Amino acid sequence: MKNKELTQVGRSALKIDGRELVTGKAKFSGDFNFPNLLHGYACRSKLAAGYIKDIDISQAFKIPGVVDVILPKDIPGGNILGILPPYDQPVLAEKEIRYAGESFCLVLGTSVEAAKAGARAVKATIEPIVPILTIDEALAKDARKIHASGNITVSKKLIKGDSTKAFNEADIILEDTFETSNQEHAYMETEAVCAIPSGDDRITVYASCQSPFHIRGHIAANLNVPVAKVKVIQAYTGGSFGGKDDAATEIGSLAAVAAVRQGKPVMICLEREESIVGSTIRHASRIHYRIAAKKDGTITGKEIKILLDGGAYAAESPFVVMKALIHSAGPYIIDNIKVESTAIYTNKTYCGAFRGFGVPQVTFASESMMDELAKKLKMDPLELRRKNALKPGDLNATSQVFQESVGLIETIDKVIDLNRLYKLPSEREERYLYGTGFASMYQGISNGAEGIDVVGASVQAMQDGSALIGIGLTELGQGSRTVFAQIAAEVLGISMDKITIKQVDTDSVHDSGPTVASRSTTVGGMAVYKAAGEVKSSLLKMAALMFKTEENNIILKNNFAQLVFDENAKIPLREVCVAAYWTGFPLMNLSFSKAPEANYDQENTQGNIYVAYNYGTHMMSIRIDKLTGEVKVLKHVAVHDAGKVVNPKAFEGQVEGASLTGFGLAHLEKIQYRDGVIINPNLADYAVPTINDRIPSETISIETYNPTGPYGVKGIGEPPVSGAAASFANAVANATGIRFKKLPITRQDILKSLIKI
Amino acid sequence: MLIEFICNGKETRVDVPAEMRALDLIRNELLLTGTKCGCSKGECGSCTILVDGDPVCSCLLLAPKLQGKEITTIEYLERTNGELHPIQQAFIEEGAVQCGFCTPGMILSTKALLKKNSAPTVIEIEEGLSGNICRCTGYTKIIKAVQSAALKLQGAEK
Repeated sequence: MKNKELTQVGRSALKIDGRELVTGKAKFSGDFNFPNLLHGYACRSKLAAGYIKDIDISQAFKIPGVVDVILPKDIPGGNILGILPPYDQPVLAEKEIRYAGESFCLVLGTSVEAAKAGARAVKATIEPIVPILTIDEALAKDARKIHASGNITVSKKLIKGDSTKAFNEADIILEDTFETSNQEHAYMETEAVCAIPSGDDRITVYASCQSPFHIRGHIAANLNVPVAKVKVIQAYTGGSFGGKDDAATEIGSLAAVAAVRQGKPVMICLEREESIVGSTIRHASRIHYRIAAKKDGTITGKEIKILLDGGAYAAESPFVVMKALIHSAGPYIIDNIKVESTAIYTNKTYCGAFRGFGVPQVTFASESMMDELAKKLKMDPLELRRKNALKPGDLNATSQVFQESVGLIETIDKVIDLNRLYKLPSEREERYLYGTGFASMYQGISNGAEGIDVVGASVQAMQDGSALIGIGLTELGQGSRTVFAQIAAEVLGISMDKITIKQVDTDSVHDSGPTVASRSTTVGGMAVYKAAGEVKSSLLKMAALMFKTEENNIILKNNFAQLVFDENAKIPLREVCVAAYWTGFPLMNLSFSKAPEANYDQENTQGNIYVAYNYGTHMMSIRIDKLTGEVKVLKHVAVHDAGKVVNPKAFEGQVEGASLTGFGLAHLEKIQYRDGVIINPNLADYAVPTINDRIPSETISIETYNPTGPYGVKGIGEPPVSGAAASFANAVANATGIRFKKLPITRQDILKSLIKI
Repeated sequence: MLIEFICNGKETRVDVPAEMRALDLIRNELLLTGTKCGCSKGECGSCTILVDGDPVCSCLLLAPKLQGKEITTIEYLERTNGELHPIQQAFIEEGAVQCGFCTPGMILSTKALLKKNSAPTVIEIEEGLSGNICRCTGYTKIIKAVQSAALKLQGAEK
């Protein structure tokens, strides 16, 4: 895997699915139109907690166009939702309502309007109970149990060294508590599915989703049929960011149950409000952070307690707990660490995966503390980070050692250089406050502690010299199809225009797990690389016979097999493919990429977890209007070590998009509850960044070579969220002299604090 | 009620209920599903169409209001020979498309903007696209695409 003379990997190839997206031809789940299509609309609880006493559906059937109402008892299988143990969530609530927005029945109509009117006509008698709405209420001594197991979803520990000793011997100890709010994914396409029953007892479900195999498994479980009877096809998906997993599984299962019952296709498209109240959001958090250091700035110990408000159901809380746990100490050399990470049930919308997966919350706390420590020590904040930064060969928080591809210091040095060159406006106006903030972070690539990480990819060369790639990971806008095509093109010497990537269809690709954890390029890319390599060996063997030479004298390039020492001696690949076919050399291969398994002490979370980490340092300079609190971002630089970058333009796109999401988390976005009910479930009251809120992100990549990814790649999808959010918080502190301990730090918060002074 | 309007250059006569939204007429009756529904409240701009050249959220417009108007949806931009419109080309070339759900609306708002202002400043681009939300890109590449499209269109005129 030498990186010399790469022709496809490392260039900004155009997005291979761009054409269908700019022309409107790409079919998203809500775009399908089948004869006799029925529409499903759920009845959702307006109360945050209560016991279901009675559901009277009789009035619904009086609405013209209402065809059926599905109740929990009508689900043939387990009425089960939830990707992980403890599998505590029903598809439809049967006895108890645990959050406002939870669905308890589904009305089917010949039109969306009919189904919706039917849902309004359903009379539910729900005996209200006092909802548990905060972490403290949930943890109170005699608190009502939201689930039989109690109000603690899961709790994990990380223990390295002896933190008590470190704190006893420290020159300086700092401690503080930080909080972050829930964040809504707000993908532009809401969750949508369309289920079509067929005569052979099978069911096909088109879904806007990021984990077609999760959906397949749950549909089978809820229909009580073998998994092989279910086919899930990922339609074009209008963004996901972690969110189209649980709720997509819920409506996928419901649509399938309804479609089988009616023998007709059923579509469910969530309305925007449903997509906010009835689908996962980012965990709110409260993080208590203690840091012990020597006078010279060496960090000797950390003690961290993380509480994640996970809402009504476990969903992916067990994994988010782990990710927050592992990342909370930051990308530094620290010998003594004690962390406890706990997810808690409350009667609110359930929380799950969202770009960053627990890392943005803990990075905000960690990096705020780094700046406070620097201030206390009168040290430059970047120097403090540099002094403690992980290098190749160092033990990280879980005592995992990477000998290569640890580019953190390089990212810090780059920011030091840029900061030296950058001058905040010299003629500063009295009305404004100016400040610059920094943040370093890391983020594990691959499923890591979340279980086995396997991707299957197929590569098939055709007799006309084109190639078809299949992989079980989903394109969600991040550009993974293009990246996979570039890798296949690089291996096979076939040009990008001759490569097609299959839609993910669970019938035709291997279960590759969910598209999460910034793992697609690394683990998925490796599967494509291997499968393409097998096909390549057939082509080389054939070309060697045709040239009457050895295989190592031949390279595949620009759609030709050519001699290494004479590039004019070449045979079109299509002729090689035809000959290989007729000679009986295989032109298709299914290969697996299995990331090295996490191997660690489960009690203390010590050992090898991820196949690699992305490292980054961000710098953000802002201007605050003292009269209005308005913040303008003057400069934002995101420097990341993401290994070899396959597609620089797509890479920038990931950094720019993730950074704006981080900025939203830090400054604009806040899910607001009143009595457990979300009161801003729309895009006017919930402030998703618009074009006027955009930040001038500059992307810089420090390329290291990661041995666990093809061509040395790592991943970039999630990491910039943390960097942007944490550097914003530090920029505000630098500008105002006030340490804000809660995200988002809104314009109003800033103004209020400035007025107090 | 029977309405007549020009849709993507074609004279169109349809019988619609008085309360039908233009968005539903376009998607469900005319089967032009390139126009997307993101919020139904005029907040996201995914359903943007051009009505007599102006960008409009079709989720807020009743179908009967199309009477006598000329509308353009994303499907009308691609040339009949399969060549993409310069704005579409620019969006692909500049990496302004990620998931693509907001893209039809973004492109139509861009078209309306560039028709009025062939060389918009960044501030004018922000104004022109402020009704279209994109959650994927961070907007920087969308602005570049609009600038690039403006140059392409200026070049085409010369």
